[in-house]
Amino acid sequence: MILNLDGTKPIYLQISEWLEREILNGNFESDQKIYSQYQLAEIFNINPATAAKGLNILADENILYKKRGLGMFVASTAKEMILDKRKNQTLKRLVTEIVLEAERLKVSKQELIEMIKAADIGEVEQ
Amino acid sequence: MNVIECNRLTKAYGGAKALNNLSFKLEENKIIGLIGRNGAGKTTLLKIIAGFMKETSGEIQVLAEKPFNNLTVSANVIFIHDQMNLPTALNLKEILQAAARFYENWDDELANRLFDYFSFNSSQHYQGLSKGMKSTFHMILGLSARCSLTLFDEPTTGMDAAVRKDFYRALLKDYIAHPRTIIISSHHLNEIEDLLEDILLIKDGKEYLHLPVADLKEWAIGLQGKTAVVDEWTQNQEVIFTKSIGIDQSYVVVRNHFSEADWQTARTAGVVLTPVTSSDLCVYLTSKTTGGIDDVFN
Repeated sequence: MILNLDGTKPIYLQISEWLEREILNGNFESDQKIYSQYQLAEIFNINPATAAKGLNILADENILYKKRGLGMFVASTAKEMILDKRKNQTLKRLVTEIVLEAERLKVSKQELIEMIKAADIGEVEQ
Repeated sequence: MNVIECNRLTKAYGGAKALNNLSFKLEENKIIGLIGRNGAGKTTLLKIIAGFMKETSGEIQVLAEKPFNNLTVSANVIFIHDQMNLPTALNLKEILQAAARFYENWDDELANRLFDYFSFNSSQHYQGLSKGMKSTFHMILGLSARCSLTLFDEPTTGMDAAVRKDFYRALLKDYIAHPRTIIISSHHLNEIEDLLEDILLIKDGKEYLHLPVADLKEWAIGLQGKTAVVDEWTQNQEVIFTKSIGIDQSYVVVRNHFSEADWQTARTAGVVLTPVTSSDLCVYLTSKTTGGIDDVFN
């Protein structure tokens, strides 16, 4: 099971993130119909209302759009929107945490930048 | 539509009140988790809903009728619990055939498929089953009856882990195909919470919390860090649980009234914020005293 059920992250968020990955991976193209709440409930063994909540997050962000009576579809700009969101929210938060940890460990900015560069070319020191 | 409405429902056994002015409404076609510690009044509530027992005072409406001695309620509600009184003269298949006559929506095919899947055989008798097998058989009755209101009181008692998993999956699949109101009481909230839409938490016979299960995870937050700093952050907050760790560290759970900006400031101040799992939260909320088992040994 790919869901993390230990209870730290709400299931509906995990559902919306999983759908975002499916779109980024190219498993769903623009204007293609995405899973229904019942399909998601069945796949992940969760309550359909929880699955609907995950879908609605993406609909509220206009990554998905609704067609009355037909279900939810992938917006044409979905990929860009997801990438943009991940960059401005997820990545920024992670960077803030790295900087904080570096401060706690008295790692200088310069040293940190060097570490990032090293990680980039896969030469992380053990 | 509300399937169940209770208003100031009270049930007293002698002097002790198992239910004490309990009021709530449950909407139809949801899977609802009924959560509470031993003796909180869960079984009493389910018995009254099923019409097995009469309330001492207050009002209750099930499917818009008073449940006690009511035919509509008996025909449309099935109450599954571990002390079911099933006929000893009939074998298991005959019990299923008899049940089919009681319930209008009974699904014979589902009953037989589950019966075979869990390797029951028709010549077996109910009283010869092990505890876990009894629970499994009850589950077949509960699901196949397809009642508009299905009550499961601790349905997984004695089941092994594999059967419990199968039960949850069967319940969900059948619910998706045939939406209806299902109430499950369980001690294993972590096992059933993904199946639930709403949670009804009762404590000392009173409603304590009734909310969508998705909101429960954000309802409270745990703060961990230096005692002085944590105290500063948690003063004037609704404290749910506290525990001191090591020499100078505290873990405090409070109602989550913090904004995203507060979280950032707290993190910078060295406070570690962690979500509280639903089952931990339920334990904290329903504990009888503010301390814990540790206090017994102090």
